[in-house]
Amino acid sequence: MTTRLHTPPVLMLAAAVALVLTGCGADSDAAGTSGAAGADDSLAAVQEAGTIVVGTEGTYRPFSFHEDGSGDLTGYDVEVITAVAKELGVTATFEETQWDAIFAGLTSGRFDVIANQVTTTPERTAAYTFSAPYTFSRGVVVVPADDTTITSFDSLAGMTTAQSLTSNWYTLAQDAGATVQGVEGWAQAVALVEQGRVDATINDELTFLDYAQNNDAAGLKVAATTDDESESAFAFAQGSSALATAVDEALATLAADGTLAEISDTYFGADVSVSR
Amino acid sequence: MTAAAAVGQTSWDLFLSSLWPLVRGALLGTIPLALMSFAIGIVLALVLALARLSGNRWAAGVARGYISIVRGTPLLVQLFVIFYGLPSIGVVIDPWPSAVVAFSINVGGYAAEVIRAAILSVPKGQWEAAYMIGMSRRRALARIILPQAARVSVPPLSNTFISLVKDTSLASLILVTELFREAQQVAAFSQEFMLLYLEAALVYWVICLALSTVQGLLETRLDRYVSH
Repeated sequence: MTTRLHTPPVLMLAAAVALVLTGCGADSDAAGTSGAAGADDSLAAVQEAGTIVVGTEGTYRPFSFHEDGSGDLTGYDVEVITAVAKELGVTATFEETQWDAIFAGLTSGRFDVIANQVTTTPERTAAYTFSAPYTFSRGVVVVPADDTTITSFDSLAGMTTAQSLTSNWYTLAQDAGATVQGVEGWAQAVALVEQGRVDATINDELTFLDYAQNNDAAGLKVAATTDDESESAFAFAQGSSALATAVDEALATLAADGTLAEISDTYFGADVSVSR
Repeated sequence: MTAAAAVGQTSWDLFLSSLWPLVRGALLGTIPLALMSFAIGIVLALVLALARLSGNRWAAGVARGYISIVRGTPLLVQLFVIFYGLPSIGVVIDPWPSAVVAFSINVGGYAAEVIRAAILSVPKGQWEAAYMIGMSRRRALARIILPQAARVSVPPLSNTFISLVKDTSLASLILVTELFREAQQVAAFSQEFMLLYLEAALVYWVICLALSTVQGLLETRLDRYVSH
């Protein structure tokens, strides 16, 4: 009796999965050949709504965080996208979410843009539309201060690191041969290193420097730094090129009038919006 | 696997190729985690239920306080307190034991009330009859009351267990690799979030369907001993 009652819903879910399967197939075909089938109304939609919906973590100092932990949302990325929105003549509305859910939120149309230090990678540029970069930085391996075994990215082989699943640091750690534990963000990752539960974590050097400035980081040190400079940019859903182009123009204006350098200076004491 | 690699394969291929990681996550994570936590939780719940029903005011008070705290705080918060919180006072527990401890504590709180209600549902006359034939309270409980309460508690305890199976997905937040974490990992690299989340839902559902079936069988079996 119980089993019989449950059969129709199973079929329904199976049908739902089948729908998604065929739907996704069609999507990737379209993306593969001609970009988007319909006209790109990404910019018009934002202008009409009068607001650009921004996906961000809200827990990633100094890029996106709450003042004193519980105050207003602020940070370098928050200020930059707010300035960009102003240039576009709209207001920025922030939706806070966990990093590992951020790309899912963008894909499902919950936000127009992600402002959360998204590093541009070949995989991501294949899947999303990006603005021009607004942050240049390097990756650092953060280890306990008394650690002497990790001295380079290569020595991460066989070690355990804590990274966000969808972050480029995850890929970097994995490529170095590390066993990677998935966490929600920098706060958890650095806690695990301090508690001795993982050997290291890789993240942005700016994040680490800010952490060291605002916390007791005596138990931590930087063991290695990447040679390559990484670039962070705003991420849009694939096909939102009209919106991305408008944002690029806004960024260019803000760079020219010194706004970007000014915002950067308040958070880092240096201009990270240009390659150094 | 990267997003670029995923472009070459169809969603159906991805669905099939990710099925094993999800099932493996269920077999190595979700199911043992749920079984272990439920077993410990039920023992805890029985002790708590008996404490609440006992004449000992102090024991009843402790049990009442425990149940209140467990039911009054979110499971996710309990997990984080045990995993990320305790290290600040020098107690570092590995991911798996942390998850089992948190889930057991949680099941204990909820199931205690189920068991208490089930014991109370056994007519007073059963106690009196047991005493009449010379049984002690302990013996009456073990031989007469608990077997009857067990039958009554099968549906609500099945509910608790089915909830637990799904709640184990929270363990993905404290580094336990289980079904949902596997789904998130595949989704992170293929960027096919909708597909992977639905696939995870499907696997959870199949597990819970199997559990409903077991519940039905258990009810039928225990019914044989009841005269209507």
